[in-house]
Amino acid sequence: MTLRDRRSYRVAIVSDRYLNPPEGKLDAVPILLQAEWGAIQLPADDYPSAVANPLLEQVAEQVEEFCRRGYDAVVIGRRDGLDEALAAAGVPRLDRIDPASARALQAFLNRRPAPAARSSRRRTAGNKR
Amino acid sequence: MPGVAFVAHCMLNQNSKTIGGARCAGIYSPLVEVLRGQGWRIEQMPCPELTFTGLNRFWAVREQYDTSAFRRHCRRIVSAVVGAIEQHVRDGRDVVLVGIEGSPTMGVCITSSDPKRAGRPDWPEGSDELVPGEGIFFEELRSEMKARGIPAPRVIGIEHQLPGHDKRAENRRLQAFFGE
Repeated sequence: MTLRDRRSYRVAIVSDRYLNPPEGKLDAVPILLQAEWGAIQLPADDYPSAVANPLLEQVAEQVEEFCRRGYDAVVIGRRDGLDEALAAAGVPRLDRIDPASARALQAFLNRRPAPAARSSRRRTAGNKR
Repeated sequence: MPGVAFVAHCMLNQNSKTIGGARCAGIYSPLVEVLRGQGWRIEQMPCPELTFTGLNRFWAVREQYDTSAFRRHCRRIVSAVVGAIEQHVRDGRDVVLVGIEGSPTMGVCITSSDPKRAGRPDWPEGSDELVPGEGIFFEELRSEMKARGIPAPRVIGIEHQLPGHDKRAENRRLQAFFGE
């Protein structure tokens, strides 16, 4: 594989309402794109628990892997059952925001420290040279 | 009227890719911008590789994932995804699936295959591994939808990891597919 890997090592767990926003409501996608974050989508609020819970379990298992490898992970918005699913997967408490505005979300993301995984990956690459 | 596009996890999160495979920082905008421009709702499917072999996994071919344990893992994820698909189909929405061409798990028309690949990961760069076929997760997804009596949806594969990928040609293909 010779292409440069462009990942940001930053992952936001995002409420569906900010990824598929109703007309005129806060849209997280352009902000995540500009700030270079990946997204893990939370189940839609109107899904019944029989549909949402298995999806939340999957979200939590993915987040656990990102956290374990030193990627930065935050929660944007909320979703019933998320905290329980994250706890069951052994995910530590994550920083979160329920953004009042696009500017608040931008500021929150821009304040994040450099992900541990990015610096350790660079060190590893440096050691090989 | 546009419907709901169930997209491969990495379309919203390139951090899930095998190391060396992320084409952008996070959200893959060439797909997401077309979907939103055409008024489609986006639903992200979980990545079966991420939760099975993890972020430090090797670049793999179909045969390495084609085990009963991995298929069981896929079926558990598929059951969750099809639950959501069923909701939208029941509400009369058009559902489409978006996979990743060349992927051993998420391929739609092209997957990767090499029956001899094994052992220490030291194979020649550019090994000929792309073959016509579906990835394992997609096979399980179709099988579960069929079992639940859900009509087979339209599918499309993103070609960003194929050699000679042409961004403009892909944009035309996506516009045509989602504009129908």
